[in-house]
Amino acid sequence: MSVPLSQMWAVTSYVVGQKLRGNRKYPLVLMLEPLFRCNLACAGCGKIQYPGQVLKKHLTVEQCVRAVEECGAPMVAIPGGEPLMHPEIADIVAALVAKKKYVYLCTNAILLKEKLDQFTPSRYLAFSVHLDGLREEHDEAVCRDGVFDVAVEAVAEALKRGFRVTTNTTLFDGASPMRTRDFFDAMMDLGVEGMMMSPGYSYSKAPDQEHFLRRQSTQKLFHQILSNPKRRWRFNQSPLFLRFLMGKQEFECTPWGNPTYTMFGWQRPCYLLQDGYAKTFKELMETTAWEKYGRKSGNEKCQDCMVHCGFEASAVDHTFGSVRGLLQTAYVQLTGKL
Amino acid sequence: MSLQGWNPQINQYLSLDEVVEFAFDYRGNTTIVRRDGTEIVGYVCNRDASAAEPYLEYVDEDGDGPFALPYAEISNIRFTGKDTAAGNSWKAWLERKEREKAMAAAPGHGGERGPGPHGA
Repeated sequence: MSVPLSQMWAVTSYVVGQKLRGNRKYPLVLMLEPLFRCNLACAGCGKIQYPGQVLKKHLTVEQCVRAVEECGAPMVAIPGGEPLMHPEIADIVAALVAKKKYVYLCTNAILLKEKLDQFTPSRYLAFSVHLDGLREEHDEAVCRDGVFDVAVEAVAEALKRGFRVTTNTTLFDGASPMRTRDFFDAMMDLGVEGMMMSPGYSYSKAPDQEHFLRRQSTQKLFHQILSNPKRRWRFNQSPLFLRFLMGKQEFECTPWGNPTYTMFGWQRPCYLLQDGYAKTFKELMETTAWEKYGRKSGNEKCQDCMVHCGFEASAVDHTFGSVRGLLQTAYVQLTGKL
Repeated sequence: MSLQGWNPQINQYLSLDEVVEFAFDYRGNTTIVRRDGTEIVGYVCNRDASAAEPYLEYVDEDGDGPFALPYAEISNIRFTGKDTAAGNSWKAWLERKEREKAMAAAPGHGGERGPGPHGA
């Protein structure tokens, strides 16, 4: 396990508190999208296709802080767009760190090295660097040569300066299990704190519509990658979620676990689907027709989805929801066997 | 298939509600035609057809908004802006990579890829 003890304790006490209050729907990670603008146009991304005047807009520091307070989740992921293109990103991060939120700033790292001076190392701040594999695979995924090398250099610099750095990896159909395992080795050699991964979601707006994984192929791929995990690999995510990706565990989606706030409001129902926006977090939680989403609902947009933002919170909830869940998690942590 | 350039004809086969849904799903600017004949160019970013007074929200051409506009004030929506989800930049990237691969495979070109850091 690579998450710092203080973060583990903060998340544990938060989830247990929710359980004790009998709250079945609670947010775990706020997905805060302060802008849609990006300096890449990745083949599998459906997040940045907007007209110019929308791409130029961004949330203010005050809007971000208000959303974080409204939501109350202990962790905040800042994706986008590319958050380092936000003119006030350092102020946003500083404000959230001051509130003792665990912030994951998700970045492609193209601007990371030049912007590092704006940030202060903290146990509350981690740069989550987008790397979809080794050089060949990553540069192909982001549709630009040279990005892997830039990102790796920035990661090394950030680590040297004492920042927490994790990686986030999205896998698509055609990914090589062996190359992915080599990638994990490379990231451990580089010294990152931990790795996160997920299958790509089949965004209807993404340019490449041919390489999204179906459910069975997701399970097969992750089984091949993770069935014999090396002890040195550290993952910055729930081990039960990894078992879920391998097809060893079943979870139902908990879209409220990772609520999403953007310049349009609170996105219904999740980070991936855009079925409209609520004005407040309370309205999102109380008026979204949650029963229309998830695999059981029969919603065709959810049938192949195994993405972290739908199921990581489910895995964490399972851990703290029963003795069995707790024992399962402890077993994986102690033995390293998924 | 893109809706770019579509000028819907609202009639018994196509309702305004349906056109608003298409506009909400469209990743480009639209021209919203109001019942008084005036037009607004903007990006439709939200809608609520189940509200007591159904409305959509848009970001105007200057980036201001979102502003709300009741369905009752709208007569039509034209899909006048570029469809930014049409995937053209990705297609251009693919074509360029194909050209590079063909060049590398051509006689006289050393197309071997050397090893990179971390075995890349």
